[in-house]
Amino acid sequence: MSILAIETSKDRFALAQGGMGEPGRIPMTRITLGSAVLRGTVVTALMASLMPTSALAAPPVDLSKWSPEYVRSIAGTQDFDTAADCAKVTPLDYKGRLTFWYQGVFEGDPDLLRQYYKDFFETFRKTYPNIQLEEQALTYNDLLDKFRTALLGNAAPMAVRLQILGGTEFASKGYLAPLKPEDVGYSTEDFWPGAMKAVTWEGVTYGIPTNNETMAFIWNADIFKRAGLDPDKAPATWEDVVKYSKQIHDKLGIAGYGLVARKNAGNTPYRFMPQLWAYGGGVFDEATANPTYEQVQLDSPQSKAALQASYDMYVRDKSVPVSALTNQQADNQPLFVAGQLGMMISHPSDYNVMLDLQKKATGTDKDKAQTVIDNMRYGLIPTGPDGKRAVVFGGSNIHILKPEYVEGGKVDEPAAKAIICMWTSPEWSLKMAYAGSNPGNLNGFKTKWMKERLDNIKFLDVTTSMLPYGIPFPALPQAPEIMNIIIPDMLQNALTGAMTVDEAADDAAKKVKDVMGGL
Amino acid sequence: MSTIAETASRAPTRRRMRVDGWRWAGRIFLVFMLLYTALPMIWMLITSIKSGFAATQFPPQWWPDEPTLASYQKLLDPQNSVGQDFLRFFWNSLFVSTVTTILSVIVAVPAAYAFSRFSFPGRNFLFFAVLLRNMFPAVIFLVPLFILMRAIGLVNTHGSLILTYLTFGLPLAIWLLKGFYDNIPVQLEQAARIDGATRFQAFIMIVMPLSTPGIIATAIYSFIGAWNEYIYAYTFLSKNEQLTLPVGIQRFFSENTTDFPGLMAASFMMSVPVVVLFLVLQRYFVRALTEGAVKH
Repeated sequence: MSILAIETSKDRFALAQGGMGEPGRIPMTRITLGSAVLRGTVVTALMASLMPTSALAAPPVDLSKWSPEYVRSIAGTQDFDTAADCAKVTPLDYKGRLTFWYQGVFEGDPDLLRQYYKDFFETFRKTYPNIQLEEQALTYNDLLDKFRTALLGNAAPMAVRLQILGGTEFASKGYLAPLKPEDVGYSTEDFWPGAMKAVTWEGVTYGIPTNNETMAFIWNADIFKRAGLDPDKAPATWEDVVKYSKQIHDKLGIAGYGLVARKNAGNTPYRFMPQLWAYGGGVFDEATANPTYEQVQLDSPQSKAALQASYDMYVRDKSVPVSALTNQQADNQPLFVAGQLGMMISHPSDYNVMLDLQKKATGTDKDKAQTVIDNMRYGLIPTGPDGKRAVVFGGSNIHILKPEYVEGGKVDEPAAKAIICMWTSPEWSLKMAYAGSNPGNLNGFKTKWMKERLDNIKFLDVTTSMLPYGIPFPALPQAPEIMNIIIPDMLQNALTGAMTVDEAADDAAKKVKDVMGGL
Repeated sequence: MSTIAETASRAPTRRRMRVDGWRWAGRIFLVFMLLYTALPMIWMLITSIKSGFAATQFPPQWWPDEPTLASYQKLLDPQNSVGQDFLRFFWNSLFVSTVTTILSVIVAVPAAYAFSRFSFPGRNFLFFAVLLRNMFPAVIFLVPLFILMRAIGLVNTHGSLILTYLTFGLPLAIWLLKGFYDNIPVQLEQAARIDGATRFQAFIMIVMPLSTPGIIATAIYSFIGAWNEYIYAYTFLSKNEQLTLPVGIQRFFSENTTDFPGLMAASFMMSVPVVVLFLVLQRYFVRALTEGAVKH
């Protein structure tokens, strides 16, 4: 059964939030959760659909009760001693050397997050003073390409943290060494079952999830109001998004919805796939409980309807940024901040970025920035015409490379396990995801830092609420090619008029079949 | 008579008007080109002194309400991690570009002289062979060169970049300098030889001083090429402490956001050495381009 088919439009997720009255004050969010998620039985079925059988054994948190209230109830209920836990994996006096690549945080990221990354590496060096760590941060869009090139020259690092899409690709090509949570002192059940799927290839686990997140929807209440829309009500369906976007554009002359269609940028599938799944489409059957990936569905009527919605916004209504074909989320954010964009799918970190912009603004800009934050409203991602709601279950995984692909031909496994144990610990998997994601290790939700975060960043209530709707990308080695190239190509072909919507969808389906070796 | 006189008196006027028209068209074109090239630089500079919020405003603040040098302070402060990285990237770029330039000149000068002055079997073939490398897009050689560098242990060293930049820059440098040497009358060297100079002395004392503009132009070409190069530096280097500026300034782009003032400040500072170099040496540069272009 499709997990998308569980929820209907009758669900009553009503999110409304007040504004922020003063700098630095977090707006209060009132979240009235509707029937679907709160109904234990339904959610149990929903979450179970993402779980392997073994995962049903004893997860540290009760996923069937998943709701903001439940998350709040478990936050701060357990203490963890990371150093003591990791000492059981790799002794704290272990002497070794480790090369490590990861998707880093940089100048544009929230200060809070950058501080936690800095703290992590300082703490690791203090905890393991005899491990010589050579870490290298890479940007989101560069990591996969650079890693691929390094592998070709056998110049890869010993350990790497990749975005969720990468795990299966590199595991299937034989670059990664088997690695499961038990190897670093944790249990498989400590992690989101959907995330574990993304690091499993042909029954073998090749990595450990560090963080997992789902996105949410944000809109500018002032723009909604001026366009004649209810400022506190998110578009309920994707059809509403198309309608609202046109209304905003027609009345105010600005972009309504923040469509992105840039090629080879992870932002594009993260924003189009929720739409595709909500309409009942998909690349394969990845939105079902037990996907087989045997039949391509990109050319289905549902998939075409989703593509048609993007076409309507970009071509027919011209209600999205004209630069959408080359935009990624980093281009939408300035538009949103400038009041030139009405609504968009938002990464959990966006809210903190805006707080940072306000904090660093000077003079009258400070008040203007505050107004932007006051006008920010956030809610669940809209549903499809049949009430289906979906979001990409994103995140990152951490892996150990096989020695033959590593610079120097050797992997210091204990050193690699030490950093992996620490990063995936309840403490650090929460801290490293503090402002922009969720802990990969479910025990992270029980830490005191989670409690602190819930008090400080209300926006994350919404993104956390989206977690049960999360659908992992197909756990296939071809997934990066499909998601980062074929899907954006399909969008671009339709939106530029190079092909009709039907032709673009058919063409994409054919390309997927080709990539999959003639499905 | 009067007709002839009128015609004679009118003709210069018409000619002058025609000339003025072209002149004005030329001036308008130059102003347009000036704006076309200068406005992005000016906008870059203005954005670099805005706050992150001000940089994203629409309509844009043509001049920031609250100008700030915070981005520059951050970049030039060796006490914070951003400043440390930026200054290190700057030094790395300077080192790689300078060494590339020096080696390029050292190799190109004698090579170009040999192509210009000596007749030897296969001279033309060799001359065009050195250009063969530049007839293909750089990206074609990316992976092969990476594997080669890996095999000789140069990945993650500045040596890999210097070697690669030479393979690109040398053919152009040789081509440019050969054209320049061709324009220096061989009789000058012959006169020096008659006066007792060896060929090497004639080269050092007669040819080299005359070819200074060409050598400077070649050096500027090599320096700018190495200074701005991105794709090889991006591929060959993965250690933070070795990155060059074009790769290093990517840190201002994140998954979901961009630090525009920081990016613009870093870009502006990155352009300073090249602009200064060009302004100081431009008369040599232009002279070399024009003199090397024609044979006397």
